[in-house]
Amino acid sequence: MLRAFTPSSLVNLHASRHSDDHRDLYSRMRSLGAVDDNGPQLLGVMLSCGKNYATLDDLPWDDLKKERLFFAFMNCRILLSTMRSVMQIHNLEYPQQLDRLSIAGDQDVLAELGLSPDGDCTAIFEWARKTESAISRALDSLDPDPPAPPGHSDLSSLRLLNPEQLMLDGSPVVSRILVMFDDVHKLASSQRNSLRNALGGLRESADMWIAERLEALTSEELLEVGAKHGRDYGDVAPTLEAYWRKYPQRFERTVLAIADKRVREAQPVDIDSFSSCVQSSLETPDMRTEVEEALATLESEIRGKWEDNERFSEWLATTGESEGTAYERAVTWQTIDILISRENRRAQLAFEFPLTPEELQKKDDSAARSAAELFLANRFGLPYYFGVSRLATLASSNIEQFLATAGELFEESSSAAILKRPYQLSSKRQHAILKRTAKQWWEQDVLRSLPLQSEVRRFVESIGRFAHRETFQPNAPYAPGVTGISITMAEREKLRDEEFLAGRSDLKHLAEVIAICLAHNILEAELDRSQGYERRMLLYLNRLLCCHFDLPLQYGGWRARKPEELVRWMMDGYRPLSNDRSRLV
Amino acid sequence: MRTSTTPGRWLNYVLRGGTSFEPFWRSFLSAATRDLLVVVGRGFDPRMTNAVSTVLSLGGDGLRHCILVEYNEGENSPSRKHDNSIGANARAIEELFKNRGELATKQIRMWSDDGRRRVGSRGAAGVFASAEAIESYTDILVDVSALPRSLYMPMLARLLDLVDQMPEVKRPNLHAVVGDNPALDQLIVAEGLSDDASYLHGFESGIEQEATADTPKIWMPILGEGKIGHFERINDLIVPDEIAPILPFPCANPRRTDDLILEYRSYLFDVLRIEPTNFIYVPEQNPFGVYREIVSAIRHYTDALSALGRCKIVISALSSKLLSLGALLAAYDLKQADYPVGIAHVHADGYTMTGEDLKKDTAGELFEVWIAGEPYALP
Repeated sequence: MLRAFTPSSLVNLHASRHSDDHRDLYSRMRSLGAVDDNGPQLLGVMLSCGKNYATLDDLPWDDLKKERLFFAFMNCRILLSTMRSVMQIHNLEYPQQLDRLSIAGDQDVLAELGLSPDGDCTAIFEWARKTESAISRALDSLDPDPPAPPGHSDLSSLRLLNPEQLMLDGSPVVSRILVMFDDVHKLASSQRNSLRNALGGLRESADMWIAERLEALTSEELLEVGAKHGRDYGDVAPTLEAYWRKYPQRFERTVLAIADKRVREAQPVDIDSFSSCVQSSLETPDMRTEVEEALATLESEIRGKWEDNERFSEWLATTGESEGTAYERAVTWQTIDILISRENRRAQLAFEFPLTPEELQKKDDSAARSAAELFLANRFGLPYYFGVSRLATLASSNIEQFLATAGELFEESSSAAILKRPYQLSSKRQHAILKRTAKQWWEQDVLRSLPLQSEVRRFVESIGRFAHRETFQPNAPYAPGVTGISITMAEREKLRDEEFLAGRSDLKHLAEVIAICLAHNILEAELDRSQGYERRMLLYLNRLLCCHFDLPLQYGGWRARKPEELVRWMMDGYRPLSNDRSRLV
Repeated sequence: MRTSTTPGRWLNYVLRGGTSFEPFWRSFLSAATRDLLVVVGRGFDPRMTNAVSTVLSLGGDGLRHCILVEYNEGENSPSRKHDNSIGANARAIEELFKNRGELATKQIRMWSDDGRRRVGSRGAAGVFASAEAIESYTDILVDVSALPRSLYMPMLARLLDLVDQMPEVKRPNLHAVVGDNPALDQLIVAEGLSDDASYLHGFESGIEQEATADTPKIWMPILGEGKIGHFERINDLIVPDEIAPILPFPCANPRRTDDLILEYRSYLFDVLRIEPTNFIYVPEQNPFGVYREIVSAIRHYTDALSALGRCKIVISALSSKLLSLGALLAAYDLKQADYPVGIAHVHADGYTMTGEDLKKDTAGELFEVWIAGEPYALP
């Protein structure tokens, strides 16, 4: 997203503002004041913190010296990047034409940095180049303890970035300046803190954005992730996922629009929309036999089990008369099975009067039917993960995750299109591809790059197995299913309390593992959920993991657990207790 | 004190491999008293002890000391499954130096304190803090067989830097030895590749400078089998303006070059659209050939791009350790001549090979790569 505000993007957008593909984007950027008919009005200065700043932290110098060098490194790169951005906007040669540019900023700052008061950019470029080069040489030195070049006391360069004082041929260059610090998670922890503190104290005339992955956050900060917007949970910025989670339908529309654009641009296939690449129903000829067999088996089994039971005779009769497609009737039969199981759990409290069709209608809710769809798929091997809507949900509110999963489907679809074959993927094929993608995402993409890999794996797979067991109880007590766990907010506070954790290494370890899971989007947190008198922190599995563990994709199903039990899961894996209630069902 | 200001230091060289390895060392050790410091990595590679045992078996007078370099890749490293082989190799080294000389162990920290950054590359250069560590020896022999690239490259560069700074009369000889076995190299699989490529310590900052961000970048990857993942990641890191892939030719297996082109073809031709005329061919077992070709190509590019200023050069060694040594020498020489040069690399959590492969014939050919010292002394 940051790239959209860089000079090259804005210049290109301005040049193609009349084209159909870019009209919407131009209009949006214009409303933000980034560009107008005269060209870019905003100077986007992007600083990648992924460059070699972090290695400064590995040098054997004291912390103060390292911080001063970090600021010096940043200062010269901020100014270099600013000058280059101006040259790009005005299509000037860089650095050859820098003599036309001046930064007539705060005289004290210019003097502090050792720059001449006229703000001549040719001189500033030379100063920045030499400063950067000196620090780079120290970093690159093969001597383990090289001499340190001089540093700076703060990010004073930002105080020079005033749109009114950035002049090209004597006129202001732009009306706004936006400094974007990207990949901040790649800085060393101490540098990240220094940067945030320095920016916090500046509040200068340039706007500043910081973009970082959650992995940069401390365990304490990570356990704040999921706080509702506007509540006082410290200064952790809301994540993009948290934003989209509030608007699931808007997210689905957005990702499908992105997918459609990508599909239209794909060469050499001629496909109009992503939706046309995937079937969204099980009512298709290729599934007919399997669904009808499932229906016949279910009906016969359920009748065989309950036909002699007077209480359910009317329910069975009503269900037998139900109308609809084979799949709808199979779902109805599976729902009846769940509802009868629920009734039987209460059997000793009820009289043996036949249950009426009206009572059936009252109990037959959408959650039970959703559970029935999942049970049906699980038992008869029918596809469950298919269709654009479920594909959007599988993204766990993360656009990159959506593109990765949708890309897998589109790759197969486009291959078929190239071969002039039907390119719409069947539900069964989608299900297989998505299961494979989920497995690969978890076992190869995610686990591979994690610290505490074994503990994270045991912990997350324990949640998956536990959720599976809770979900597939015959009476579906948490319909449509369990996809998360929770601890109380008081327990969460303890996991953030360093003093308390100092005496509880097991819980400290658990806090670290949960933090890693949140940082890598393996778990999604929701804070402050009320349950009776308690407030709880919910930890949902990433929806792609729900696919991996054959769980439903809806949110809302979670089970409370004690931190001590979670420690056992993390260390030894989940094992159902011998008196586990689900075994009695 | 630097020994070169223009690249071209190893155009004449000393390389002894295969059947001439043993005669070379026999005659070298018998010609004079040689105080030898052997540096060897503590790994599972079955070749780890081959060169050291051969050299020690040839007798000769003088010290025979060893530094065993330990590097802990972490609890979850795939290499941990070879702990038994690692232990056996280390015991074999201890046995070889028992009653012969001192054996010291040096630890290299692979991860930063916060566990988020790999710092092994800088740590490897730090194994030799000053010239004092090597000045009492006439010869330093670094066996790179069981050391990962991210460690032996900065370590050798540091040793070379130290040797270059010493007065000529005190300068020890610097040898790299390697057991070359391309078939075995292919059986060792890097697991847990980092998401992003990075530059090795000592060969980074010239590339990353903001002031020269618009300078054209030339990437010279030495292609090797099974490294497409590395290739992609490094390409993403560099975003090069020009690519000159280096291919091994001639090779023991005459089809090897073609097989490599086939393996990389979709990336080379469909994605990156590289002209076949950009390919550079180097003999499979000659690191100095790699050095010579890289230096010559850089001179060519520098001339061609002189109107745009100096180009930035990035080298990546995705092939055998023998050829990687050539890449290191080229990068080192270019750096000394003040060229902006980087070595791009993809770190891995560890390396594995199957238990069956571990038992296979692993001897391969031993190579002596004489990097600095007597043959290169000015007349």
